[in-house]
Amino acid sequence: MIFSPVNIDADKLLALDVDLKKTGFLDPQLYLLNEAKGTLDTYPYFPGNLKPDFTTPDLDTSQLQLAQLCIDYQIDNDFKYMIIPTRYYVDYPTSYFEQSTDYFVTPFCEYIRAKNIDKKILLSVIVKSIMLSDEEKRNEVLNWITGHQHIDGVYLIFENNFSSKQIKDFDYLLNALKFIKILKDNQMEVHLGYTNTEALLYSIAMPDSISIGSYENLRSFGIKRFQDLESSPMRAPNARLYSSKLLQWIDYDYIQAMKKLIPDYENFFDDSEFKPLMFQPEFKWHFAKPEPYKHYFYIFDKQIKSLPDSQTDRIEQLKSDIKNALILFKRIKDKVLLDDDSDDSHLPTWFNVINAYQIEITK
Amino acid sequence: MIRDCTIIKELPLGGQKKVHLAEHPVAGKVVIKRGAIKSFTSLERIKREVELLSELDSIYYPKQYHFNIDIKTKEFEIVEDFIEGKVLRDALAQFRTPDEIFKLLNSLIDGLSIIWDKNIVHRDLKPENIIIRPNGMPCIIDLGIARFLDLESLTKTISPMGPCTPIYATPEQLTNNKNIIDPRTDFFNLGIIALELYLGVHPFDPTYVGNHYSIVENILQNKYTLVTPSVTYDDKIAQFSYQTLQTQPYNRFRNYTILKSFVSKQY
Repeated sequence: MIFSPVNIDADKLLALDVDLKKTGFLDPQLYLLNEAKGTLDTYPYFPGNLKPDFTTPDLDTSQLQLAQLCIDYQIDNDFKYMIIPTRYYVDYPTSYFEQSTDYFVTPFCEYIRAKNIDKKILLSVIVKSIMLSDEEKRNEVLNWITGHQHIDGVYLIFENNFSSKQIKDFDYLLNALKFIKILKDNQMEVHLGYTNTEALLYSIAMPDSISIGSYENLRSFGIKRFQDLESSPMRAPNARLYSSKLLQWIDYDYIQAMKKLIPDYENFFDDSEFKPLMFQPEFKWHFAKPEPYKHYFYIFDKQIKSLPDSQTDRIEQLKSDIKNALILFKRIKDKVLLDDDSDDSHLPTWFNVINAYQIEITK
Repeated sequence: MIRDCTIIKELPLGGQKKVHLAEHPVAGKVVIKRGAIKSFTSLERIKREVELLSELDSIYYPKQYHFNIDIKTKEFEIVEDFIEGKVLRDALAQFRTPDEIFKLLNSLIDGLSIIWDKNIVHRDLKPENIIIRPNGMPCIIDLGIARFLDLESLTKTISPMGPCTPIYATPEQLTNNKNIIDPRTDFFNLGIIALELYLGVHPFDPTYVGNHYSIVENILQNKYTLVTPSVTYDDKIAQFSYQTLQTQPYNRFRNYTILKSFVSKQY
């Protein structure tokens, strides 16, 4: 479990059952130094609590204090891993890696060592698209991550700036898999955060864990989640339902159409304790209704857990799942046309990515 | 201290320095090094090396007894332990089989891990900078261009090449990509040394690689040989070479624990 300060008060998190926390870790969420969204400012290490209007130059004098407060808080919660935070930039400055080492990696590692803390250390890394597509940038970030001798692994976040709900970019997905593979080849633990259903695809690179977020903003990383944007207009997403058989979220409008046009339409969707309620005529579909998210959480968890342990078997199963999903989509599309956020347009790309990755791992 | 020493003879090695073998009544045989301080950078490098060696108390490094700078003459003098033995260049025949090579590597990793733990990269590992003691144990010398990762870099960013011995250097040294210098730089150097010991020739030597580039160009293009007309392929040596002689550090062994774990399983 990954704990998110923006969503839970620091004292409430401290009071949570230790059993819930001892297998998880904290995402410190120091992405923006000056934004105190949600309950972030209840955390002792939040920069605004160290100094009002905290800015980058303040890190020169406060890096040790910040490291101490952040690590002490993580220790008090008895999380499994100690997390080194990262900052977010729209465009990374040329000194980003140097600064990250000086402001975070070195003081955090030194404090952990000084306190004799016997827990694994994960480094948070936000991977921007350019770090996957540009070889020089990719080399730079990989050399930086793997260059820290005392780090055991990474809390890896692929930034998602795609306008479509599913990622359909062949190069992006293949490079993401290769990125994970390189880190695994370096004997590092890899924990993936903020993934949507492409988590299934990433699983073939054998990361150590993949987070399952229920809400849309937990299934892809966007910095807006950490910015106070009260005055900006909010766009409510359409209610959607996940199907593990289709490997896709289907817009409620299409489910209504399927109901009218496909007699056994319910069979395209998984069974869960939430399903009967959602398929009752009086159920009012709305993005804020909890049932579709609970349903997803339950179904996707089951789907992830059903993945074979062996990489070869996992790859074969996923390919077979994709082929089956394509067959099911064909049946749907005979009667109901779908837009490209509810259809199967991501699946051929996924299939091709898997094939390309298979070649990569046999090299 | 130097006044108490009796000079025995001048030693041939030393580059820009004058090096004498001498006898000290308490320390025994010592080496006296004298040389000119050519710049602030060279003074800072000498100081860093001396300070490091003074705090190291290990069989893998020569002991440092004395250091002095003469401001008037702009000269330095250093007195350090004389290491009995031969430089690895003259002891290549002692390490020809994979077992012998991996045993030596294991000892070298033990020695180097002492400085790696201090965030220091040797940056100039080569057969001339390793002395093999009579008991077969290596002693690592010449930390003159070592990179102290916690201290300010002394290498000019605009220099086309970083400090190194080019034919034993890594791609990142040859291109002065100083931001990615770390212990994996030394791993690459160890890869060259190991393969040279096994083959009896420099692995990037164009004569054996079969091209017309120089050794340095072959290092930059990652073209090396695992065999010669008289030496056959060895899987363990090949695997070690593969995991050390990579252009990108992230493709090499990640840290010395992983490196040592691999090496210690090979013999």
